[in-house]
Amino acid sequence: MLQGDKTSPLQKTMNEILLWQIRHFVYQHFADTTRPPSVGETAAHFNISTEEAGEYYKELHNRHAFFLDLETLTIRMANPFSGIPTDFKVHADGKTYYANCAWDMLGIPAALHTDAVIEAVCTESNESVQLEVSNGQITNHQLLVHFPLPFSRW
Amino acid sequence: MLLFQSEEWIDKWCKRSHLECGEVLTIHQVWELSKLWYHNRLLLEYHGRSIEQVAEIFRQAGLTSKFWYV
Repeated sequence: MLQGDKTSPLQKTMNEILLWQIRHFVYQHFADTTRPPSVGETAAHFNISTEEAGEYYKELHNRHAFFLDLETLTIRMANPFSGIPTDFKVHADGKTYYANCAWDMLGIPAALHTDAVIEAVCTESNESVQLEVSNGQITNHQLLVHFPLPFSRW
Repeated sequence: MLLFQSEEWIDKWCKRSHLECGEVLTIHQVWELSKLWYHNRLLLEYHGRSIEQVAEIFRQAGLTSKFWYV
């Protein structure tokens, strides 16, 4: 947990169980609505103050559970979900999600345990492509995914 | 991680971006990796994973080159 003189009173009393319940709420909200909950929505759900919910958001950001815009405390990314529109659209369960990248576009049907139709844009050619996850299998496709950095540098 | 239609396009992008090319996986390899990496992401019990767990996922996905060393 957080140490040192800069720790706020709220951070000192942070509840570890609630912390992970909030993480779970964020992810379930993404799954149910395709977008992240605001700090206010999370505060209302857990019957805590907006300030307290914001502190829990910051702690989860620090632990890399998800990634915030630190000025607004909006959730930019909770892998595989993107909080903003991207070139990687995933249609699943009657909803349209945005993924952060070519890996995450497959991460969404994997996380949801569902089939999906994926629309994406190829980086160099700028062409739109479509692929499907059907009965747990990728439909035949010749696409490639480039991982630019080794894991040790992620 | 970016999407391409051929190795040739990847080479062009790396040259144009002045970047060394990294590792290229087929879409089928990425799907297998995704299932291992994300299958439990929505669970309350998921709190992240250890380096050992990451290494095991890469091993199960058949990713054994130096690029995937943890």
